[in-house]
Amino acid sequence: MITLEFIINALSLGSTYALLALGMVIVYGILKLVNFAYGELIMIGGYSLFVLSLGPRLPWFVMAVLAVGVAVLTSWLTERVAFRPVRDKSLTAMLITSFAVSTLLQNAALLIISPRARAVPLPSLFSESVVLLGQSVPWRNILAIVTSVVLLLLLVVLLRRTVLGIALRAAADNFRMTRMLGIPANLVISLAFAISGLLAGVVALFWVGRTASVTPTIGAAPLLVAFVATVIGGMRSLEGAVLGGYVYGIVFSLIGVLLPQALLEFREAFMFIIVILIILFRPEGLIRGGAPSRRAG
Amino acid sequence: MRQTDLQPPGVRQPGPRRAELTPRDWLHRNSTPFLLGAGMLLVAGVTWLIGESLVERIVTVMFIDVILVLALQVFMGNSGILSFSVAGFMGIGAYGSVLFSMTPAAKAAALPDLYAFLAPVHLPFVVSLLLGGLIAALVAAVVSYPLMRLSDAAGVITIFSLLIIINVVLVHWSVVTNGPRTLFGVDRYTYLGTTVGFAVAFLGVAWWFKESRVGLRLRASRDDAHAASSIGINIVAMRYAAFVLSAFMAGFAGALWAHFITSFSPYAFYLSAMFVFLAMLVIGGPNGVSGAVVGTVLVTVLREGLRSIENNVNMAHLLPGGLFGFTEIVLAALLIVILILRPGGIMGGTEIRWPPAGGKPGSTGGPGGTGESPRV
Amino acid sequence: MLTVQNMSVRYGAIAAIRDVSLSVKQGELVALIGVNGAGKTTTLSTIAGALRPFQGSITLDGEPIQGRQPEYITRRGIALVPEGREIFGSLSVAENLTLGGFVRRNRGERERDIQEMVELFPILGERMRQAGGTLSGGEQQQLAIARALMSHPKLLMLDEPSLGLSPVLVDQIFELIGRLHGRGVTILLVEQNVERTLDLVDRAYLLHTGTVEVEGTPAHIREFVDVESVYLGERGRKA
Repeated sequence: MITLEFIINALSLGSTYALLALGMVIVYGILKLVNFAYGELIMIGGYSLFVLSLGPRLPWFVMAVLAVGVAVLTSWLTERVAFRPVRDKSLTAMLITSFAVSTLLQNAALLIISPRARAVPLPSLFSESVVLLGQSVPWRNILAIVTSVVLLLLLVVLLRRTVLGIALRAAADNFRMTRMLGIPANLVISLAFAISGLLAGVVALFWVGRTASVTPTIGAAPLLVAFVATVIGGMRSLEGAVLGGYVYGIVFSLIGVLLPQALLEFREAFMFIIVILIILFRPEGLIRGGAPSRRAG
Repeated sequence: MRQTDLQPPGVRQPGPRRAELTPRDWLHRNSTPFLLGAGMLLVAGVTWLIGESLVERIVTVMFIDVILVLALQVFMGNSGILSFSVAGFMGIGAYGSVLFSMTPAAKAAALPDLYAFLAPVHLPFVVSLLLGGLIAALVAAVVSYPLMRLSDAAGVITIFSLLIIINVVLVHWSVVTNGPRTLFGVDRYTYLGTTVGFAVAFLGVAWWFKESRVGLRLRASRDDAHAASSIGINIVAMRYAAFVLSAFMAGFAGALWAHFITSFSPYAFYLSAMFVFLAMLVIGGPNGVSGAVVGTVLVTVLREGLRSIENNVNMAHLLPGGLFGFTEIVLAALLIVILILRPGGIMGGTEIRWPPAGGKPGSTGGPGGTGESPRV
Repeated sequence: MLTVQNMSVRYGAIAAIRDVSLSVKQGELVALIGVNGAGKTTTLSTIAGALRPFQGSITLDGEPIQGRQPEYITRRGIALVPEGREIFGSLSVAENLTLGGFVRRNRGERERDIQEMVELFPILGERMRQAGGTLSGGEQQQLAIARALMSHPKLLMLDEPSLGLSPVLVDQIFELIGRLHGRGVTILLVEQNVERTLDLVDRAYLLHTGTVEVEGTPAHIREFVDVESVYLGERGRKA
């Protein structure tokens, strides 16, 4: 049952989830904002691929890069237009704004394109498999793992070797003090949203790669995944987010093969019950890192 | 703000006791629910006189929405914590109530695998309404106490998770809900008179809660948690009370709605619905009961207007792909604009009172959302 | 260099400081003393831009800076070491220092500045790669001050640097402040440790319930006020 194919499958799921979680935490760490519009960035990435496929024939890789670019731009724009003006008001105002932006983007896709699913172009590689150790492993999964690892390494370099990256980590640690050192808040936050968009865009490529189609509501599931993975990882540290993503992906895959059929439907409910339990009893997440949130009682 | 309510219980306080208020003073202080209630009855009366069934449907649902937005206000307006779970409790109330109000024959047709002890049960409409509310309140009572300790982001995430969990359960507990498919066979019991009556009643409940000791203490804790707990206010218990009351109201409203629409599926109680309720409350103003009512009415009118535009455009085939989602986009954009320009909503926390000006300002909440201190 | 005139700051409806005026000249070591709640931290925070005065003016070398964003004020040359130090616990010592020098912008200078800091604070040199959160209280205080100095500020503001430190470390901190003063750094110091502060500074302002009660040289202040009772919170005055 635990075959090579299963392992690669679980790892590729974990890799995707890790990128998702990272994209969410990078904004949450600084602003304490759970960005409900994050899932819609995946949708935008998917729809960009679709729209690009309508035009002149481009190599898929070029379309993919452009689609990710659109996701980055959208993320940056939502911050600039919707979040920045409410940033100083209150956290609740920002949360509601993110919910509104999410609704707006979903319905914009509905309006501009169509409420029905649209086919997304995929490279032929995505439907091919390679034989490893006697088993057939989809190229798509291998690519997911490789892309994630490369992206994560790039981010590590950015966050540890560049001043802006260090500033970003500092902002997640203590945003107020970061500003007091003269580091512009707007720059740091825009950068965080841009990176968030980049990660979502890359995830989009693999997410739509599974069904070869995109719908206006495709962002709902990844949002919930990002949620759960982030909470597992502790919500405060970037390393935690990555680990949380991998843990979630692997556990989810395991549950898929271990749980009896009747209970399988409630898999998602279980994950969210775990979310609540973690927040209640171990808010710093399963992996140590960062301070727990304030409590009232 | 009455000083007496911030004293720890058991301390005898000087000053005028509540019994010493003249009826006139009491009426002035509590004029809001009467004014709003009269307004709602007036709207209902006019609707009935007009006699158009489409308008009657819209107004009936509007009054159900008033209850739901009041439910949201009871928790969110007093505690300052964003609650995403109201739509979920609405769903629990809807499914919970129809299980008791549907005839055994209808149940056999729609829910063939229903548990044996539930199948023959057939209770009157009003009882089933109450049961809907009570089941929702019970669920809230059982699961939510530990969540009330959490503040801000953690609280929002866990309450949001409740919505997801409720949805998953409703979608997958097919023997009781018919799964993701539509549940048919509910009898139509809800009419205009029913909904406006209950809306006015719950308006009174929401007002009473807001002006009660619990409501005042909760708002004190929203404005400054440390100060509040240092004078003996048990924030967790207060929030819990508000949350359970909110769940009851939402469940009751869900039950009303179920018996209006007569067929529904679990996705009616999920994010899209939650968005509308949130928009209604925030646009109207979360810090007061008037805001909840005003917001509901305004957004209902707006939505119906936009929807008719959508329909006309689609019927005239003005746009190639059809106009979809227009209503939601405008609503979302309006919500964002309000949050930027007037975060306290249209009412801004003040209540509709008689006498209007010159009286004390409305709630203890000023303009703005949750009154957090400046970011830096 | 720094002039504050008739500044008032409110928290909601409550006036935290009222009509406060002070000035700091180039090269001076000036102190704000007073008991808890007197408004010292509020004053520093407002000068640094974290709070907005509802009345009054703050001028740095002739330029009005009241109400400006904290990032701008830091770029203009005011560095604040806040109460509680607030170093980045999850970042290394080197990274903390690097960020302190952010406003200097030039990479080459930054590395030279870090070297300078290491000379001033040798212990930091030993802990360059360690996470800030693993440092002791005294080391964190040194890191916080070094980080502020990285920006080569015109004015260094220190909010209770000796808070929570053992007597030996308190000695070290005061000795350090004296040394910085000797090197020409302009310093505005907030302290509750009145005796030692008055021994060290050029001038001081005594704050009480949000206003300036007495100002002048240490001798002048000692004349007017019973220092011990100020420290303990009573309003004692000598005859």
